[in-house]
Order: sequence, then C-alpha cells, then structure tokens
Amino acid sequence: MSEEWSENLTQYLQRLLPLLTSVLLIFISYIPLELPFSSNVRPAVALICAFFWLLTRPDVFNLLSVYLLGLTEDIISSAPFGSNVFALLIMYVLVTNLAKYFNAKPFIIIWSGFALLAFVSFFSRWLMVSVYYSQFLPVFSVFFSFLSTVAFYPILSLINVFVQNRLMTDEV
Amino acid sequence: MKRRKVLFIHLSQIRLLAKKFAIVILFLTAFVMMLINKTDTVIIEKTSSMATDIVSPVIDVLVIPARALSGVYDYFRELRTIREDNQRLREENRRLENVENRARALEIENKLLSELLNYTPPPEASYLSARIIAEEGDGFSHSIIIYTGGDKPVKKGQVVLSDRGVIGRIDRVGKLYSKVILITDINSKIPVMVERTRVRGILSGDNTSVPKMVFIPLSAELTVGDRIVTSGVAGTFPPGLPIGKISSIDKGAVKIKPFGNLDRLEYVKIVDYGLDDIFYENGSERADGTE
Repeated sequence: MSEEWSENLTQYLQRLLPLLTSVLLIFISYIPLELPFSSNVRPAVALICAFFWLLTRPDVFNLLSVYLLGLTEDIISSAPFGSNVFALLIMYVLVTNLAKYFNAKPFIIIWSGFALLAFVSFFSRWLMVSVYYSQFLPVFSVFFSFLSTVAFYPILSLINVFVQNRLMTDEV
Repeated sequence: MKRRKVLFIHLSQIRLLAKKFAIVILFLTAFVMMLINKTDTVIIEKTSSMATDIVSPVIDVLVIPARALSGVYDYFRELRTIREDNQRLREENRRLENVENRARALEIENKLLSELLNYTPPPEASYLSARIIAEEGDGFSHSIIIYTGGDKPVKKGQVVLSDRGVIGRIDRVGKLYSKVILITDINSKIPVMVERTRVRGILSGDNTSVPKMVFIPLSAELTVGDRIVTSGVAGTFPPGLPIGKISSIDKGAVKIKPFGNLDRLEYVKIVDYGLDDIFYENGSERADGTE
C-alpha cells in the first residue's frame, strides 16, 4: 500500500516537473542581475519553456500548464494583466499545429523554428499591448527582448533537457 | 434508464465541446483580464498585490545565492579600481566640504528670510529603505519588486529614490512586498522641469532606457546636459528632486538619461512627504475626484 502510494506520488510529481521547472526558471529570470546591460535583456523564459515542453512532452505539459505559466508571469510582471497569458496561448496554438515539422529534426532547425514562432508571439503581444495603451510600443526595445529570448533558447533548453533526461521517465 | 443515457450523452457532448473550445475560452479570459485591468483596476490591483505577496518570498529566497555570486564578482572588480576610487573620493570629499559650508550659510539665510515672509515650509519627509528582490526590464514593462517589511506603511504613489535621484513610484502595495513602476515604464508620467530655465514638461516613459520629455513649450531653450528635476505640479511628486539630464534633442523628442542607474539597483529609498491623500487607497483617481 505504502509502496503504491509512493509510486503514485512520484508519478504525479514527474507529471508536474515541466511546469515546476518552468515556474522556477521564470522566478530566476526576475532576480536582479545588477549588470550594466541588464535592462531589456531579460528573456521571455515562459515562451522558451512552453515551446520546449509542448514539443517534447505534450503528454504532461498541456493547455492548462501553459495558462498557469502565463498567469505566473502576469503576477510578477507589471505589463497589462493577461498579456503574458495571451502570448503563451499564441505559442500553444502555433506549436500544437506545427509540431510535426519539428519532430526529430536537428537542433538548429528547432532553434530557427522557435525564433519564428517567438517572433509571431512577440509581434501579437506587441500589437495587443499597443492597442491596450492606445499607442505603439517602441519596436526597438521589443525586438531586443525578442533577440535576447532567441539567444537564451539553447541555454534554457539544456536545463530542460537535463530535467527531462535525468528526472523524468519516458512514460508518466 | 433511458433518461440516464440521454443525460450521459449530453454531458459527454458538453465535455467534448468544452475541450474543443477550451483554447477559445482561455483566450477570452485573457482578453477579459486585460479589459478588467483597463476599466476597473481595483479588482486586479488587490488580486495582484495579494499574489505578489505569495510569489515574492520564493524569488526572495532565490536572490540570496545570486547576491552572493554578485558580491564575489563585485569584490574582485572593485579591487582593481580601489586606488583610483580612493583618489577620486578624497577629491569629492574636499569639494563636498566646501558645498556643506555654503549650504549651512544658505540654510541659516533661508530660515531668516522664511521667518520674515511668514512662509509655511513643506512637510518633513520620512524615509524607508527597501531591498530589491526582483527586476523586470523588457519591451513591455519596466518595474521592480521591493521588500518593504510590515513595520512602516507603504502607500501607492509614494516616490522611490536611488542614491542619485528619482527612479519611480509605488504602484502596488502588498503586506510585505510592493511593486514599483520605474520612470522608464510606459505607465510612468511625471511632471518635470528643466532646472536651469524652469521650463516645464512631462517625463513620459516608453519602455526604453531613456524616457522622453513631452509637452514642452515651442519657445523653450533646451541644451544637451541640462538637469531635469521634478516640478511638483499636480502634487504627486515634491518639487526639486533630481531625475536625469537631457541626453539628446531630436526633432520631436527630448530624451532624458536618468541619474539613478536603473540596471544596478540593490536598495532604494521610499519617501513619504505626507502627500498620501493624493491617491485613493485602492484607485488611481485624485482625491478631489478628478483624474
């Protein structure tokens, strides 16, 4: 009985691991860097994690996970409440429809694919937030955020790959 | 029995439909959240402040090892420049001693003249130091979360200063943590003036590192390097607080480089000038009813 209970708990935790890892990475991304160039450099960690987990483990990272991730970002961020959820839902729709083109492809293709989907997601959010404020946000700073997000993708992917390979089993 | 089957089919159909349109429903909730945020800030503000209080302690714990690493880096970086710093500080100290002497004389003179004119001085300011636990700087918003503790009350709208000048204002107040909108954020609008010419305008953040000064008279004489201070108009910010200096003047935009280094903040000062009646407790409206 106790063994079964422990097994169930492990399985349950493993199912939650992608979401928990993503939330932890989001928290870390908000830590003050105290670097002279840190303004506008913060990557959109939630977008990276959502793309990675939706592509590799859609069985444990679903629509609800994406929504919760967006809400977490909205709580910490001072951007219009709901805009992070919106950007992540755009990413969800894109990944779930285009996942077949990324399966079993070299990393560089996946990275390029992420850059493309992240661009659409950033652009949609930029448009939405611009409508919200009734003025266009400066394109340059948003584009810079997009570039830093794309640049950080390999590093955060490595962390996520580690979690997937070392801490998760194939079937949970 | 038949009725049960009908109900079963009906429920499963609803479930299927809900699954099919879950994405649409969630998109709609995102829109609704944004709409509520736009129209009725009270609900979002209270929820957000509460949620910030729940989430922030986790980030606060994560900050500890990050600060330790940063401390080691700073230690070695500062070792390299310690000699030059020492020399520079000695010179600065000499200059400040002269300034202090002049300030003392002016203070006495000011006091005497104020008494002659029967002048009522502005309220005394009280300060509260707060540690930064999270910073946000991307194309969509610029803000920080600070640990204020529960000892002194923090109020929405209070001015937040670094050691060099104004960096923002309190936006959301939790029990232990508060959110500060930086002067570079698109939501930040501060009445300012050019110190030299007393020309007034509004410092408007645009999510870049150099906010712009708008609503400046056409005849205004501005030069790069002019110091910008708060004007005190509208009463939200007391006058004379340093903000930055003009970094560029283009056709339509006067850009201001803030004095406070917004990238390297560790501690900030919250200043209470007794202007808390400017804001309602839970809204952004003015106390006199106007927006």
